[in-house]
Amino acid sequence: MSNLQPAKGSSKDQPGLRYPTSGKTIYHRPLNRTKAAELSGSSFAYLFSEMVGYASKKIESIQDLEKRLNVQGHPIGLKLLDLLLYREPTRSQTRPLNIITLLHFIKINVWQHLFGRAADGLEKSSDPSKPDEYMIIDNEPLVNRYISVPKDMSQLNCAAYVAGIIEGVCDGSAFPARVTAHSVGKQEEGEMWPGRTVFLVKFAPEVMEREGYLGKS
Amino acid sequence: MQVYSFYIFDRHTECIYSKSWFTPPPPASSSLTSPSTSRPQSQQPAPHASSVTSPPVASLVVAPPSAAALKRSKQKKDDDAKLIFGTVFSLRNMVRKLGGEDDAFIAYRTGQYKLHYYETPTNLRFALLTEPGALSMRNVLHQIYINLWVEYVVKNPLSPVEHKGGEGVRNEMFEMGLDKFIRGLM
Amino acid sequence: MSANKAARVGEEIWKGRIDKVNAELVTLTYGTIVAQLCKDFEADYVEVNKQLDRMGYNIGLRLIEDYLAKSNTMRRCSNFRETADMIAKVGFKIFLNITPTVTNWTSDSKQFSLVFEENPLADFVELPDDGRAQDELWYSNIFCGVLRGALEMVQMQVEAHFISDVLRGNDTTEMRVSLIRYIDDELPPEDD
Repeated sequence: MSNLQPAKGSSKDQPGLRYPTSGKTIYHRPLNRTKAAELSGSSFAYLFSEMVGYASKKIESIQDLEKRLNVQGHPIGLKLLDLLLYREPTRSQTRPLNIITLLHFIKINVWQHLFGRAADGLEKSSDPSKPDEYMIIDNEPLVNRYISVPKDMSQLNCAAYVAGIIEGVCDGSAFPARVTAHSVGKQEEGEMWPGRTVFLVKFAPEVMEREGYLGKS
Repeated sequence: MQVYSFYIFDRHTECIYSKSWFTPPPPASSSLTSPSTSRPQSQQPAPHASSVTSPPVASLVVAPPSAAALKRSKQKKDDDAKLIFGTVFSLRNMVRKLGGEDDAFIAYRTGQYKLHYYETPTNLRFALLTEPGALSMRNVLHQIYINLWVEYVVKNPLSPVEHKGGEGVRNEMFEMGLDKFIRGLM
Repeated sequence: MSANKAARVGEEIWKGRIDKVNAELVTLTYGTIVAQLCKDFEADYVEVNKQLDRMGYNIGLRLIEDYLAKSNTMRRCSNFRETADMIAKVGFKIFLNITPTVTNWTSDSKQFSLVFEENPLADFVELPDDGRAQDELWYSNIFCGVLRGALEMVQMQVEAHFISDVLRGNDTTEMRVSLIRYIDDELPPEDD
């Protein structure tokens, strides 16, 4: 299967690929060169809407579409984990070792890098029967800014793409999880954040076991 | 400054949107073809009716519309739209023939109303009818294009690119924005 | 509009009127789109090229109105040369913050080349080493579709394709654009 990688990790040099005569490959480019680069928000919006449009062909249900978006976001999360840790100042360059650190990393570093601001909230689920659920809250997800969902698809939340990215980050740091996006903003007058979205992070049981074990020692 | 109505025509010469805010009082001698002497203030073409705006100044008698009257006035609306398009299209072509390719038809005025015209390079045409004394509304139409059309219709990934029969234009955000904008002028 | 003025206009609009997002988000999103296409079409890169072109076409149909609104131009370009300058210096600038160079005009001014020194969509991309990708896939083919769609909405039928790409080992990334014809305005249907 071919993997196109906007790769920042180490990928071994592949004989057989042609390079331009200048000999410059992507390995010569400094990683931090495009750190603060910016592009127009519309370019992202158009690409994203084409992506959603392409994914919505041949699907049978809304869950299917959200799953596809999730799958597309996953590899990005993996790459972002490596990249953002690399860019951290050396003393904090260790990967997150417990859930809270990981979630803080996502809430602050990942969000700041992708959207230019930290996420708006991080909460542990208040349901005692579900100790493995945490919630990251975003009042106005960038990806939903230009999308207005028609009435017949009102359960669709295109932030499933961002949920996939979060899932990639979690999986990459050895905290396997399932992440889904839910819109909780109400479409009524006086609602400050009608697009408010909650990303529900549900960790796998072995993670909770490990947390419990580490917490005790 | 009264705005009477607003039409949008697409590049396939079809009327994809129309809205009236105020129907000018007909002069005593002419009479409209529909039985009620005036259209109900806030009527939209029936299949696309979503929200109905409340009528502002009502100096006209509004008869409760019967189904037949609604159909007739919808037809009349369609005919109006076609007439308007025919007029502006011919005027625009004439202007181009006489004044060169770069010349543009801007507005015309009659005793009853003034029609302002605005065309984008993508052949999207706006026509706005106001009271005869209005000043140039070219800037207004430009603002409608940039801030309402592009933002709420073009950028909405769920509205199709070709608006056959007005599809995709009648979304809430566009209508609300347009209504607010025009009422702000009146 | 002269080329210099166009460049200045592009720069001004980029600074003032565009809401910006992180470039890497866009690069990564495009990467995931191409990766998904390659997976879906099982490495049939010719099909992937076509699909990218189609997606670009859909984008171009909308992007042109966005471009007109942002650049506040209300008249069409008077000739194809002006069109090329506006595309390179204003169009690409306000959406991708790059200004490709316009070169290699044919003598009848109906074809030109756009040379890209940098391509934000292809940052850090390396094509797979399966022996075919470098010969068949045009990674940035979406640009061709975008130009085709956008120019069609302003009554120009053009054809665009890449002729070289640094991802393929060439020295430059170059796209060739040719004007096929100007499309006439549609006339209203005759009423009898």
